[in-house]
Amino acid sequence: MIQTQSRTTTLVARDLKKSYNGFEAVKGVDFEVHKGECFGFLGPNGAGKTTTMKMIYGAVIPSGGELEVAGLDVRSCEREIKRRIGVVPQENNLDDDLKVEENLLVYGRYYDLPRKVALQRAEELLDFVELTEKSESQVDQLSGGMKRRLLIARALINDPEIVVLDEPTTGLDPQARHLVWDRLRALTVEGKTLVLTTHYMEEAARLCDRLVIMEDGLIIAEGSPKELVEKYVSPQVLEFRGSPEELERLKPVVEAAADAVERTGDTLLAFTTDAEELMEKVRASGVEVENTVYRQAGLEDVFLRLTGRRLIE
Amino acid sequence: MGAIRIPSPRGAFRVWQRNLTIFRKYWKSIMFPNFIEPLLYLAALGLGLGTFIQQGGINGQSYIQYIAPGLLASNAMFAASFESTFNTFVKFEINKIYDAIITTPINAEDVVAGEYLWAGTRAALYGTAFLGVLTVLGFAFDEPLITSFWAVLIPPTLLVIGVMFSVMGTLFTSLIQRIDFYAYYFTLVVTPLFLFSGIFFPVEDFPAPVPQIAWFTPLYHAVNVCRALATGPTPAVFLDVAWILVFTLVLALVPVQIMRRRLIG
Repeated sequence: MIQTQSRTTTLVARDLKKSYNGFEAVKGVDFEVHKGECFGFLGPNGAGKTTTMKMIYGAVIPSGGELEVAGLDVRSCEREIKRRIGVVPQENNLDDDLKVEENLLVYGRYYDLPRKVALQRAEELLDFVELTEKSESQVDQLSGGMKRRLLIARALINDPEIVVLDEPTTGLDPQARHLVWDRLRALTVEGKTLVLTTHYMEEAARLCDRLVIMEDGLIIAEGSPKELVEKYVSPQVLEFRGSPEELERLKPVVEAAADAVERTGDTLLAFTTDAEELMEKVRASGVEVENTVYRQAGLEDVFLRLTGRRLIE
Repeated sequence: MGAIRIPSPRGAFRVWQRNLTIFRKYWKSIMFPNFIEPLLYLAALGLGLGTFIQQGGINGQSYIQYIAPGLLASNAMFAASFESTFNTFVKFEINKIYDAIITTPINAEDVVAGEYLWAGTRAALYGTAFLGVLTVLGFAFDEPLITSFWAVLIPPTLLVIGVMFSVMGTLFTSLIQRIDFYAYYFTLVVTPLFLFSGIFFPVEDFPAPVPQIAWFTPLYHAVNVCRALATGPTPAVFLDVAWILVFTLVLALVPVQIMRRRLIG
């Protein structure tokens, strides 16, 4: 398929809200997803990501604001929207009473696919997610990564325009995660629109063309991974690790020289545009540190800057 | 909150079809108990206890002839009740099958209606097999248990009876959070219905208010219809059929709304 570069919008939220018995899970968010892009929702648990995803696929009804999916209003066109999207839920809900391929075929019936079409798609999709050899296996014999790939195949059985993925790689080992990333990138090459949530910065950085950072039911930042890094943090980071006393002594030196300094556990992070110059100043100060690491600033730094350096579950 | 949801027949059919697909894989191994249970009652009560029931039996029938058609109705009740309680709970709360289905063009209300139909189908399948056994046993004992050609209407009747008990079971399912609570349903609803709906003795002969109370319960009418079809109906059967249809239709939309609210936030 040819990748189109048109910037048509396919998903629009305006002041979208959801509250449950007085608890506001989503407090009014605005976003637009363009056709063919991979759009991410990044945030800690409880930020409102899953609720937002569920509002897109009709499992949660918004309590305020507007949400249009594929040009259709979620309140009045739930069936039509569900016909045109694919959903990979956070929780595995494959049909354990059915074999791997049967899961896809039975799912195809929910979309009224003719049997022939469903059979052909199931075969192609099992190949796409590298599960052809498992097509006759019971679902409970699959590993976590395989189940997740089968969920992705299942979400594609209706050839959806938009695929909604809620934490597609949570709980997977690194190999399984890379395979899922690879498959998701293949989908964007095919021109599908992906909307995903994650709390892995690396995942967001690798996959997403644009993303929003959510915290506490609100969107607190928006842009491409590169834009976000440029906007919120300096490009280079020096990480100093040491005892609390060492870090305490080092802190004033670094604070005087770096653009920003943050402390997390046994590490002092210094953001700067010139790491070498900063390092010189540290050496000149005579403070000894056990271990120093130099790296480029990333999304994680943006995320932590914006959401505070607290425990992210 | 929101408008009353009416299920779509197409969506309900797809859910029914999913259950059929799975049933076809396992029916040989799961049908057996449902099938044996009424035979045990028939043997213990019909043959065992029946021996002590004085000559002339009940309403001119031997005891085994009297109870056999009623067991068809209770068999349908048990089949539909298990389906709409334990089986539905596992699909709903444990395996999250419904959460998966409702991300497709199938809506929550269609899922519930599909489960009603499926429970009814299962009740009819079991009941039809049991009906066949009763017919054969009648020949074997030289004491016909099914004596009317109206009995050909028993399978579709069991489907309706199954749907009725599925609506009741689903209503209970829609209200509970833990699977353990079904003990209440079976002990306080299903078992009393089984014992006091005129399967084993005519409730009409009891003093008031027993017959009046029985009239307001669902299995009583199901037993009446099955007995009428097995032995030759009188027009009175229309009242029982009407009772079943009205009760089922009035109640059917209630679990649909409650389950929808539990599936959709």
